[in-house]
Amino acid sequence: MGGERIDLPQGTLDLLILKALALEAQHGWGISERILQISSDVLRIQQGSLYPALHRLERRGWIKAEWGTSANNRRAKYYELTRSGRKQLEAEESAWKKLAAAVGQVLGTA
Amino acid sequence: MISDLLYRLRALFHRESVEAEMDAELRAHFEHLAEKFVLSGLTPEEAGRRARLESGGLDQIKEDCRDAWGVRFIEALFQDVRYGVRVLRRNPGFAATAILTLALGIGPTTAIFSVVDTLMLKPLPFPTADRLVRIRSVIAATGNGGVASYPDFLDWRGRSHVFEGMAAFRTNDFTLIGAREPLHLQGAVVSAQLFSLLGVTPALGHGFLPEDENPAATNGSDSVILSYGLWQREFGSDSSVVGRTIQLGDKPFTVVGVMPQAFQFPIQAEPIELWTTIAVDTRGGARAMTAQRGAHYLDVIALLKPGVMIERAQAEIAAIASALNKQHPEVKARSARIVPEIQALIGPLRTPLLVLLGAVGCVLLIVCATVANLLLARATGRHKEMAVRAALGASRQRATCQLLTESVALGLLGGGLGLALGLASVRMLVRLMPVDVPGLNSVGLDARLLGISFLISFLAGIFFGLAPALRVSKISLTESLKESGWGSGSGGKEHSRLRAALVVSEVALAVVLLLGAGLLIQSFLHLTRVDPGFDPHHVLTFQLDSPAGKQDARVPAFFREVVAHMSALPGASSASAVASLPLTGDNIRSSIEIEGEPTPMGSRPSADFNAAEPNYFHTVGIALVEGRDFTEHDDSKSTPVVIVNRTLARRFFPNQDPIGKHIRPGIGNGYGPGEPPMREIVGVIGDVKQSDLGAEAAPEVYAPLAQSPFGTMFFVIRTAKDPRSIVEEARHQVVALDKNAPIFHVVTLDQYFAQSVAGPRFNTVLLSGFAALAVLLACLGVYGVMSYMVVQRTHEIGLRMALGAEKRDLLTMVLGKGLKMAIIGVGIGLVGALGLTHFLASLLYGVRPADLLTFIVVSVVPTQDSHTHAPAGGGGLGQSSQAPECPGAHRVFVGSAYNTADAR
Repeated sequence: MGGERIDLPQGTLDLLILKALALEAQHGWGISERILQISSDVLRIQQGSLYPALHRLERRGWIKAEWGTSANNRRAKYYELTRSGRKQLEAEESAWKKLAAAVGQVLGTA
Repeated sequence: MISDLLYRLRALFHRESVEAEMDAELRAHFEHLAEKFVLSGLTPEEAGRRARLESGGLDQIKEDCRDAWGVRFIEALFQDVRYGVRVLRRNPGFAATAILTLALGIGPTTAIFSVVDTLMLKPLPFPTADRLVRIRSVIAATGNGGVASYPDFLDWRGRSHVFEGMAAFRTNDFTLIGAREPLHLQGAVVSAQLFSLLGVTPALGHGFLPEDENPAATNGSDSVILSYGLWQREFGSDSSVVGRTIQLGDKPFTVVGVMPQAFQFPIQAEPIELWTTIAVDTRGGARAMTAQRGAHYLDVIALLKPGVMIERAQAEIAAIASALNKQHPEVKARSARIVPEIQALIGPLRTPLLVLLGAVGCVLLIVCATVANLLLARATGRHKEMAVRAALGASRQRATCQLLTESVALGLLGGGLGLALGLASVRMLVRLMPVDVPGLNSVGLDARLLGISFLISFLAGIFFGLAPALRVSKISLTESLKESGWGSGSGGKEHSRLRAALVVSEVALAVVLLLGAGLLIQSFLHLTRVDPGFDPHHVLTFQLDSPAGKQDARVPAFFREVVAHMSALPGASSASAVASLPLTGDNIRSSIEIEGEPTPMGSRPSADFNAAEPNYFHTVGIALVEGRDFTEHDDSKSTPVVIVNRTLARRFFPNQDPIGKHIRPGIGNGYGPGEPPMREIVGVIGDVKQSDLGAEAAPEVYAPLAQSPFGTMFFVIRTAKDPRSIVEEARHQVVALDKNAPIFHVVTLDQYFAQSVAGPRFNTVLLSGFAALAVLLACLGVYGVMSYMVVQRTHEIGLRMALGAEKRDLLTMVLGKGLKMAIIGVGIGLVGALGLTHFLASLLYGVRPADLLTFIVVSVVPTQDSHTHAPAGGGGLGQSSQAPECPGAHRVFVGSAYNTADAR
């Protein structure tokens, strides 16, 4: 375990959570594991950031929660994207890509 | 947006399950994490330790999650309220003082506001209320009057284009002759259009039809519409009453409808029980009331077309009025004025109510200042607490919020108590109020009032809490921690300056109220010391309508018989009858022609016209200055005579002996058709305050009843004992004379007298009460600041004493400070009062606001000296009354009694 730690830019966590939920409903642990996996163990989301973010997104209506049973038969709170959450994800994703491309360009030429 | 709200509400109100879910979720995460460590080869214990390490502080995570729920603010508020209540409970003395003080401010404010709200802010109970206007016909030269003649009304209606409808009305007395006892009823004579104009349809039957107004079409039986109450009481809610014929007085009427339960029009203290059409006034050809352009006796209400501004309507009606003046030079020139109906109803109440509202506002401000002072005093004791909180990380904003919450909590508690107090006093207010206030019965608690008093309490809480809260939250940490042992320092000094400023403003406000109250008291004393020109004690009065079956010619004889029986009542020393009793707001004005001075009708002087039986002046204690009283020989066969009052004698016959001179009043003809006769003046009586204690005496003319019959009379009986004790005997005797003649409005002359000053009394009592409250609170304020200052300077005073200061010097020092505050406060108050009391001008009699300074000096030594009687502005609540006037009216007033006073 361990690995390199990267501080996420403001607002990025929300985007990552939405993206992680784009495919299927997932509980909190599952979300953090998925992000960890996809980012090749770089982005390790701490509980202290993850859950407040989930609750905030739920309040905004972008994700909704439902209690279900996890793979190993534990009761777990599953989050899934709502319609407006999906729209939000698209908007944020394209904004992020534009930003990343622009920043990349600037860094490439300087 | 809505899901957000639902989410927050759930977080707030289903707190336990939300918390439990959060716990479960976080525990699951923790277990997953531990599992992962076990899978990577750690022992379970080691895995648990690592997982805990990695998760960080669980409590912090939970706090962050709670932040995400977005209900922090409200929770903080709950916390503050809980804490605030705890703090208050720990200081019950302080809390009780503050809450009681607040209740004393909020209670009266609520009570007065509820009255203002009911009378001035609520719309009239008609669907068309906002477009209803009153059209007043006033004498162009003087602005007096208010009632219109029927021909004028018809011309206004026919020639105008801005109104959807226009209706005339007047009140009238009726006697219902039914199966049971004959019953006196207050009714109204109205245009057929009235109900549709008000937007109200009868609950039963139908409204008046246009042809109901036409006497030719009614076949001798006029239409009548009953009030719901009358229908219930007298007709047993029988719906077959529609179409039935009932007898009112000596005439048959056909019932065409029953109005809905709550319907009232005109809105007045005595409920209207039935409505009939103007057809009753149209009989008698050229002598009919409706045929005379000079007979001004009708109120006129109109409905503006939608979108028509009142100014446009005014311009149009004014043009019509001036055209009518040109067309009819024989009638005194008149102009027409339009006012919104609501304003016409509450017009005379407006100023007193606003003055009282301003007064309670002042009291409320003083209360706020007092409580702010209390809070400031306490805040000193809380420096340390605040400093400790700040040291523990409470933000300044948070501290301010907490203090404000405390003061708002205080405000609301005080408001609750105040509301109870206010409701109790509303009852008292209503009882104290002059009787002629429309719609007052509906004053009471409703959601609106509750909301308003909540708002007042809340704002008061913020208002008195703001200064202390800002002050406390500004304390510098180290300063207060250092200073707390001593209790003095820069913060303390600033503190006491703020408190002194609050006290000065309290004193100033109290002075304004005190002076206002002083003016009203003085004015009221003037008013009650006015000589009314008669002796109101021990006189019973009642009214009697000409009974059914009595022909016009026999009515005076019947009335004389009644007088004879009344004089013979045991306990009665004398009795008589008169058409218009003083202070009942029931006057008739007539034009006067003086013999040898031919004047065209339109420019003749006018006088109050009255008719009396012999012995009237003696019975009510009016002085006969010269000549003789009427005798039973002054009848329709003898010389027409008249008795005038001193004002008329002086004005029309300056420096001459009026006895034997002749005048011709324009009404009062008991001699059959033709012009009213010239009458010989046989007596002069002293001036009587006929319409209003505050008004100058008007010229008055009395004709003998036998020479000028009236249909409804006031009977007066002077008694040796309590006049109320003979009521039953009197009623019994009159019924024995004619079973269809019920007596009504049985009132002592004292009561009429008291009623006529009820308005000024109401204003005076209330304003004095508020002023007393204000002075008490201001005194408490001064006391509080002084004692605080002394406590604060104990060290200094002790030091001074140790250094040899005399006790007297110290006393001077302390008292000087108090005196300074008081003097500054009084000074500011005086300036304010001079600026503000001119609003009182219209409520004052015999004093002017400018007499203020004199009054201050004078009030030190109570004096009996009464000032010159300055022009009186018509007195207070419900005091204005204007009489219908009938210059040139040729009709004998049998069968149509006049109670058309403007004061509704």
